[in-house]
Amino acid sequence: MTRRSLHTGMAAVALGLVATSLSVAGPAAADASDDYPIPRRIITTTCDAEQYLQAVRDTSPVYYQRYMIDRNNRPVDIQQMAEDRIHWFFSLDPAARRQYSEDTATNVYYEQVATHWGNWAKVFFNNKGVVAKATDVCLSYPAGNMQVWDFASNS
Amino acid sequence: MTRHHRAVPALAAAAIGIVAAVSGSGTAYADPDTDFANQLHTYGIYGPKDYNAWLGKIACQRLSNNIDHDAYQSAKFVGTNLSRRNATEQNWQFLSAAIDFYCPDKRSVLEDAAHQSQAGDRA
Repeated sequence: MTRRSLHTGMAAVALGLVATSLSVAGPAAADASDDYPIPRRIITTTCDAEQYLQAVRDTSPVYYQRYMIDRNNRPVDIQQMAEDRIHWFFSLDPAARRQYSEDTATNVYYEQVATHWGNWAKVFFNNKGVVAKATDVCLSYPAGNMQVWDFASNS
Repeated sequence: MTRHHRAVPALAAAAIGIVAAVSGSGTAYADPDTDFANQLHTYGIYGPKDYNAWLGKIACQRLSNNIDHDAYQSAKFVGTNLSRRNATEQNWQFLSAAIDFYCPDKRSVLEDAAHQSQAGDRA
C-alpha cells in the first residue's frame, strides 16, 4: 500500500465515523427546567433590570465589563433592541418568565433579538453564579437608574 | 572605506548593544500585569493573573468615574471580588498595588483615607 492510498483509507474511515456519529445523534429536544435556560432567581426576583445590572457591576465586575464591551460593539439599534427586550422580560410575572424560558429552550428561533446578537442577555440569563450574587443584593440599588447602561461612566 | 561607511557598523553595533541590554534586563521590565501579580504574591494574594489585573484596572476606573467615591468604597469593592478568605489588610494591599500600577494619579485617595483613619473619622 502506498502512502497516498493509506491516507485515502484513513480519510474514508474518518468520514465514516463522522457520518455514523451524526446519524445516531438525532434531534436535540430540551425542555426548560426551573434553572435552564433562565436561572430561577431571575425568574423570581423583584428587582428591575437596572437594579440587577448595577448589582452585577459591583459583584461580578469582569462579567459586567465583558457584557458591556460586547454590547458596545453592536450597532446602536441592536443595543436598544436588547435593552427594550430585557425591560419587557422584567415586566413579566414569574409565571410568564418561566413560560418564556420554556419557549426559548424549545424553539431556537423564538427570541428574535438573539438572531441579531447571540449573547444579548448573557449577563441576565447565562450564568447562575453571576445571577445568584447579583440577586442577593440588587434590591439595595436605585430602581430605573438608566445611567448603568452607559459603559463609559460605569466601567 | 569612507568615513560614512565606517560609521554604519559602529551605529549598528551600538544598536545591538542596546537591544541586548534591554532583552537581558529580566523581570524588572515584564509587562505591568505580571509585575502586579508578583507584587500581590508578596501579600499572599494569588489567583488568576488576568482576573486580578482586570479587577485592579476596574477599581481604578471606578475611582475615576466616581462609582467609588473614596478608598473605603474601593476597598469594599475589591474585597467583594477577591477571595473571602483574604484578610481586610490584604484587600487594602491589593487596592494600594492596583493604584500604584494602574492609576498612580489616584494615590491621593489612599492618603485621604489614611488621614481620616488617623483623625479617627473611620474605624
